[in-house]
Amino acid sequence: MRRLPVYLLLDTSGSMFGEPIQALNNALSGMMNTLRMDPQALDSLWLSIVTFDREVKEVVPLTELVSFQLPEIVCPQSGPTHTGQALQLLYEKVGREVRKGTTEQKGDWRPLLFLFTDGKPSDIQLYREMIPKIQSLNFAAVVACAAGHLADDSMLKELTQHVVHLATADSSTLKQFFKWVSDTIEQGNKSMGTVESLTLPAPPAELNLVI
Amino acid sequence: MNATQQYLEQLFANGNLPVTEARNKLLQQFCQDEVNSKAVTEILTYQNMLMDKWQLFNRITTIQEQPFTIPNATAGKPYEAVIDRDQQGWVDMEVIELNGLEDTGLQYDAETGSITGTPTAHGDRKLVLRYRLQQEPEEAEPHEKSIPLVINPNPRLLWKNLGSDATDLYWKEDDIAFTAPLGGKLLVAASKRGRSHANTGGFRDDDIAYGHFGQTGWSVIAVADGAGSAPLARQGAKLAVNAVVNYFTPALTGDGLPELELLLQEYNHGTGADTQKKLNQQIYTHLGKAALYAHKQLEAFAHTKEVALKDLHSTLLFVLLKQFAFGYAVLSFSVGDGVIGLVNTDQTAAMLMNRLDVGEFGGGTRFITMPEIFKNELFYTRFGCKVVDDFSHLFLMTDGIFDPKFVTEAALEKPEKWQELIRDLAGENEDGKKVELSPDNTQVAEELSAWMDFWSAGNHDDRTLAIVF
Repeated sequence: MRRLPVYLLLDTSGSMFGEPIQALNNALSGMMNTLRMDPQALDSLWLSIVTFDREVKEVVPLTELVSFQLPEIVCPQSGPTHTGQALQLLYEKVGREVRKGTTEQKGDWRPLLFLFTDGKPSDIQLYREMIPKIQSLNFAAVVACAAGHLADDSMLKELTQHVVHLATADSSTLKQFFKWVSDTIEQGNKSMGTVESLTLPAPPAELNLVI
Repeated sequence: MNATQQYLEQLFANGNLPVTEARNKLLQQFCQDEVNSKAVTEILTYQNMLMDKWQLFNRITTIQEQPFTIPNATAGKPYEAVIDRDQQGWVDMEVIELNGLEDTGLQYDAETGSITGTPTAHGDRKLVLRYRLQQEPEEAEPHEKSIPLVINPNPRLLWKNLGSDATDLYWKEDDIAFTAPLGGKLLVAASKRGRSHANTGGFRDDDIAYGHFGQTGWSVIAVADGAGSAPLARQGAKLAVNAVVNYFTPALTGDGLPELELLLQEYNHGTGADTQKKLNQQIYTHLGKAALYAHKQLEAFAHTKEVALKDLHSTLLFVLLKQFAFGYAVLSFSVGDGVIGLVNTDQTAAMLMNRLDVGEFGGGTRFITMPEIFKNELFYTRFGCKVVDDFSHLFLMTDGIFDPKFVTEAALEKPEKWQELIRDLAGENEDGKKVELSPDNTQVAEELSAWMDFWSAGNHDDRTLAIVF
């Protein structure tokens, strides 16, 4: 069976402490409920969550949606944002986990990556080193989401053409964003050329696509 | 030295009043005082009580904090999970009850600790395990540990069947099925909108067209699969299959393909010089031109309608078939991930007639809309030619059939997988749906269409299957 691997990279640096992390947890749980009602996703979606602050953690390894159990995402009260290190772990994971098609094995759908951050990478050098590597993985779409006024859009633009800016990281905005993420995931298992990028669904009004 | 004395000696030492050797006797006397010894006994009793209480308190908190999850369930699917107290290190736990399973179709067995049944509802449940520890008295208020349980909906029941918009400019019927006599053989075919499209009211992106030309005895069958990501793929597929039939119509209603036919005859008899080479050249010319014609038609359409050619992305596979005195000639062309298979008369061998364009990722294939396929050095590998005395089945299918029935390309090389497909069509499937491939069966198209509704997890694409038998 063809799997659609989806990776969520979530910023859990100190600035997320308190209300934002609460909002993120609510939004994730809402997204899971939406995805669970999608028969296509129930059949093919595999999800993994990686969090990054000072430390990078694989919170949930790549797991099929039907077995997926969403843990509570927690964050320290302060600390840097190791986005580059998170991309490094992601690079290893995708290389290891995503199945490529051979004559004996059905290839996965091209994976999707969603990166959520409310700041900017503290490890800029590593972040920039990882960008070409991540791009070489041939994701069907890489969506970066910058939440709040401290998030750096231009830094994310270096990684992907799809950057979404959220004015705040409050509960209702995040819910909208992750609803859109689930819509995008639902687009992910379609036949397309080998290198073409996924056409993203129209975002809700609350999301500003950064051009 | 008795316990009282020992306790006091320790107490005084801790209080910086150590009892010296010389005062030992005095301490003994002190201990014999009833008030003193009673006080010590009481202190010890309280101490033990506090220790027990603390231990219990600590133990319960440990259990409460211990992460514990059970696997997710799915509605309609038998479920079994065990709350294994030994494994969790909860040997001192006495389970009173497990709440929260009401109306789920699941039951808890306190004896074995197992949760079993087939869920009838879905949603997020919070189960509450009510327990006491063995060291607690029976009247003690039970503790409650909550255990989340996710029950997924039954995916089969979530699929909606929404009609496609019949007023759309490029609308086509969601499902079609038909039969057509092709000289001595019969064609039965069906092309059906997949569940993934029905679920959103989308269109069928697959298409099929055929032509049988009695004058020359040739038949053409073309099948195409529009790319799910291309907005006008349904039209691309339709244009592609029609283009192929249209391309061959003038020649096949006129003089036929005399040079090609002569070469096929020579090839079969093993006569003539350089026959193989010349035959290849002929196939390359006729079928290659037909493919290029389809590409040009799509290009022209895109140009006229001012849409991007890639919005019409579609795979394309077609065969030319003719019965000669010496047997059948089957010629083929393909681009994309469709399959053309020819099964011999006694069904002991099957020949895959095309090379599939399968990328390293799902859906990463090639389309007739891509100009580069015509320039590629491997263009010649897109053609096939087979001359046989007779055959039992000739199949053309899109990936909507190939993916669930064969899964991998390697399986297409195995005769037993083709035999399996033939048995499956004959009714060996979980729904017992049967397609009686007989020229006398007037219901064969309907039967094929019904058979094509088979369930296969994760495979909900459009399905097109053409069988010549």
